[in-house]
Amino acid sequence: MTTLRPFTCNDMYRFNNVNLDPLTETYGLSFYMQYLAHWPEYFQVAESPSGEIMGYIMGKAEGHGENWHGHVTALTVSPDYRRLGLAAILMNFLEDVSEKKRAYFVDLFVRVSNKVAINMYTNLGYIVYRTVLEYYSGDPDEDAYDMRKACSRDVKQKSVIPLNHPVRPEDVE
Amino acid sequence: MASKAHVQDNSVSERRLRPIYEWLDSGNNKKALQECDKVLKKTPNLLCAKALKALSVLRMGRESECTNILDALVAENPADDATLQAMTLCYRELQQQEKICGLYETAIKIDPSNEEFHTHLFMSYVRIGDFKLQQQSAMNLYKLKPKNPYYCWAVMSVIQQATRGPGKKDAKKRVVLLSLAERMIDKLITENKLEAEQEVQLYLMVLELQDKIEEALQVFNGPLGAKLICATADTYKLPYLIKLRRWAEVNLVCKGILMDSVDRWDIWKEYINSVFQLMSTELHLNNHHVENHNNGENDLENVDDTPEKAHEFICRLVENGADNGYLLRGPYLARFELCSKLIKQGIDSTDLLGETIELFIEYFRKFGHKPCCVSDLRVYLYLLDSERKSELSNRLIKDVGISSTSVPQSEQQMQRHLCSLQLSRLCGSHRNLSADHLAALVTAFSLHYQHGYQTYGLNLLSTDQGPSDAYAILAAHILYDLAQLTKSSKPIITALVLLESLLKNSPCSFNAKLLCVRLFHAIGAGLGAHQMYENLDIKHLQMDSLGYMHCARLPTTGLLSLTTTLLDTTLKFFSSNYKDSSDHLTFCYKFGSFIKLDDFMDFREKLNNSFHYTAVAVDRIILNIVQCNSTENLYNSNILPKDNKIDWDKLRDNHDLSVYVSWDPERADGPPENSKEVEDLFKQNVQFLKLRTHILWALSAAINIVKSHDATKNTCVDTLKDVLKDWEDLYSKTNSTKSVPIKQNIVTLPLPSRLHLHLNYPYLDILGQLFRLIISIATEDTNNCNTVVTDLEKKFEHMLDGVSENIHQQNISEDCLWERRNAMESIVNTVEIICISSILCLLCHDFARPSQGKKSKKKLDSSTRFVLTEISSIIKKAISKLDSCLETWKTSNEYDLADRLALLNLSADGQNSVLEDIKNSHITAVKELRTLLKSKTKLLNSVSG
Repeated sequence: MTTLRPFTCNDMYRFNNVNLDPLTETYGLSFYMQYLAHWPEYFQVAESPSGEIMGYIMGKAEGHGENWHGHVTALTVSPDYRRLGLAAILMNFLEDVSEKKRAYFVDLFVRVSNKVAINMYTNLGYIVYRTVLEYYSGDPDEDAYDMRKACSRDVKQKSVIPLNHPVRPEDVE
Repeated sequence: MASKAHVQDNSVSERRLRPIYEWLDSGNNKKALQECDKVLKKTPNLLCAKALKALSVLRMGRESECTNILDALVAENPADDATLQAMTLCYRELQQQEKICGLYETAIKIDPSNEEFHTHLFMSYVRIGDFKLQQQSAMNLYKLKPKNPYYCWAVMSVIQQATRGPGKKDAKKRVVLLSLAERMIDKLITENKLEAEQEVQLYLMVLELQDKIEEALQVFNGPLGAKLICATADTYKLPYLIKLRRWAEVNLVCKGILMDSVDRWDIWKEYINSVFQLMSTELHLNNHHVENHNNGENDLENVDDTPEKAHEFICRLVENGADNGYLLRGPYLARFELCSKLIKQGIDSTDLLGETIELFIEYFRKFGHKPCCVSDLRVYLYLLDSERKSELSNRLIKDVGISSTSVPQSEQQMQRHLCSLQLSRLCGSHRNLSADHLAALVTAFSLHYQHGYQTYGLNLLSTDQGPSDAYAILAAHILYDLAQLTKSSKPIITALVLLESLLKNSPCSFNAKLLCVRLFHAIGAGLGAHQMYENLDIKHLQMDSLGYMHCARLPTTGLLSLTTTLLDTTLKFFSSNYKDSSDHLTFCYKFGSFIKLDDFMDFREKLNNSFHYTAVAVDRIILNIVQCNSTENLYNSNILPKDNKIDWDKLRDNHDLSVYVSWDPERADGPPENSKEVEDLFKQNVQFLKLRTHILWALSAAINIVKSHDATKNTCVDTLKDVLKDWEDLYSKTNSTKSVPIKQNIVTLPLPSRLHLHLNYPYLDILGQLFRLIISIATEDTNNCNTVVTDLEKKFEHMLDGVSENIHQQNISEDCLWERRNAMESIVNTVEIICISSILCLLCHDFARPSQGKKSKKKLDSSTRFVLTEISSIIKKAISKLDSCLETWKTSNEYDLADRLALLNLSADGQNSVLEDIKNSHITAVKELRTLLKSKTKLLNSVSG
């Protein structure tokens, strides 16, 4: 049960119960503000009936020509509100916006170790388009899957033909 | 001519400057400076190199040198982009944004057709929030380059004048400005130039602000509506229809959305509301639709204007039910909303919905295995009276079927059990229980936790929350209740042992960490709290929203070096973000997201007016003064917090208290931020902060006296007198309100304000006396100095007697940790008073020193000197007494909780580690305070010497 609405600055004061979870990063203010200013329609928050933040999605649209696509920058759901289909609702929203913007596909990066998330994205129709080597810095660095789902504009589904070879982070724009 | 020369050697100078940029980017300012000097040797007139030099020295902390270079540069009227950019950076970092405007105003005079300069000028006005100049510069820009965005910048600038500028307080001006904005857009529309989605949003904004809702709605029927693609038309229209009270349409739109997505809670609420609105308007009499109930086929034609119809609609959606694999809660919870509306209208809800309590039971049976069931139902608990609540509590527990001798048979049953326990606590079932009963609950929950962990929690990822963690958290809450009931610290320590053992199993449980921070602080163990806080990895904005739990408490713990570090980190966050936040406003213009501007500006104000920010700034300066070891340092440091630009009436409490999970019955009344207790606490905190800031104002005034010449001295003296007068007034006003510390019966609410112990200590008595002494010396009116000395002696003695009694009580107490927090806070207050007194004594000494060439004071010297020697020995006596008290202060009692822990199946090792943290905290604090005091004795020796 969800109230889906645009993310506001004030939500940054209230998203602690989501962000204190180890899998969600808290970024510097400018990062959120850039997204809010540039792609406000892509930054949505899901609120519970009791007014708590259950999760949010942050994204953007970028690329030229047939590479014009929606991108999921962050998707997170509070531990108390998992397994309610919330991530799917948020992803649907982002995909809808991307459709309206006439994007060719939607993509996202995910740690190769994050089985739960990979599984969820697969169920939502995403495929592993390519592997990005050592995309996440850490000890040791971790590879990312670049996952994609085609939008209706990509009639021939050209954007989702997987690459055979992994790429380096510098090859990803 | 000059500009031509620049053009010619552009590429050369670019090549020369590149290394400077690289050094600056990598943060190596010293290298950057060397490179600047090198370039300037070859091309002494290269303005950009000068500007970069200014930036380099600024980043090395040489502010005045930077300002000198900048001033010289301004005189040369720079008009190349690189130089201006570098200077802009300097002014930004110097917090002199207004000077950027002048820079580009000049540049435009030199190069009037430079689009980029015009843009920079516009943005510089945005940074300082001058809406009128924004409008002008945007229009100039549009005349130069007729692009839509520039025109919209001008429109938005007019809107801002209406909402945040002159129109804010003057309704007439607001009307004029808004209609101007509307006409400006109308012009675009008639010229068929309105294109982008953001431009249409801007149009809607202008209409909304004028309450032209009907017109706004019309936009969706015209060609402009098609440009709004990012949200569905319904989402746009619904708020308009609600504003226009067109309830029948609201009803139908909501139904349409709900049939598509049955879980949209905001829409459910609007739908139910519309039903009742329709019911209460007579209109619906004329609104006769054919009564048909053919399974909702015509749902989108039939307006639901009675609770019965609403109920049928809900039931139909329940039947259509789960289509995406998840059982959706929407329609089930909608019944609660319906029920609550009926009750509010005084209509019996049982005919339609049955007994209210059965709604709860049914909901629990359907969703009790989801953690969110608790917060869903919490919202509607008020529908039950206390008798019904306790009935609900019993029935839920019974429904799960776990007795005192059985354990859950599945993870789902365990979650249902947890849910029932949490709801039952929310219903008040843990209130008014005996200590034995509470202890029995703790034992049971602790064992349940361990059983759950062993059975369902062993193979989890390190990032997962443990499935049975909530048992332990609940047990820790009850242990806190027990501590309050029995006035003993032992249950708190037990809770800490339990939570630390939980964290060994699920190292990511932030709920456990948050609770540990709170519990450690409750017994004055700052070090333990600090470790947990570090573990939470609090950063960025969380320093404001969560800083209260630790950063705001640390200054009372006596852990001086930890406090210094954390206060510095926090201040750095606040000041750098205030600088950045003006950039964020420019982003909105750059990307045309006008709809976000208001939000961004509110946020900027909220951040800058944060109470926590101001409190940290004041604490940091006081700590600096307390640790100050020479008057030289004092003269050179900034004593006024936030450059003395504190807007007291706008200070705000930005704390996120809801981050603590709570199942106390009070939580059902609403979020803790709205509670009376928290409101009182905030008032007390502001009062406390004001009192403390007066110390700084007085000190700053006193320093000005010392620094003053004969000509300015009197004004400075008057200023100090005024400050002291205000301070006294505030003191008596605060004392007369007799505010009491907020209740400590709820573990998830903050600790009491520091106001209360502040008022118990003679800040004004002692420091005020010393400030008056400074006035006496300055006005050469030292007749009553001897009375001052005797008075101060008495006051210090009295204060120290209190301290030694305090510590004596601690040492003979069987449970010294119960009062440890207060005892330590008191000691810290005493140390503060002593240290600031020492500095004031030193200040007097400086002032009366003949070497400053103030001949007129020579006569006073001997008597003043005598007085100062007396005072310094009084302070030294106090220091030595305090020091010996601190020396005897026992760390903690020999606790043995092994039996109690064994009952909970917890090892005694856990106890040792918690007790170790508590002990170390005490030892470190005492050591740091004693070192500080020792340095003050040394300092005072210079006065008597």
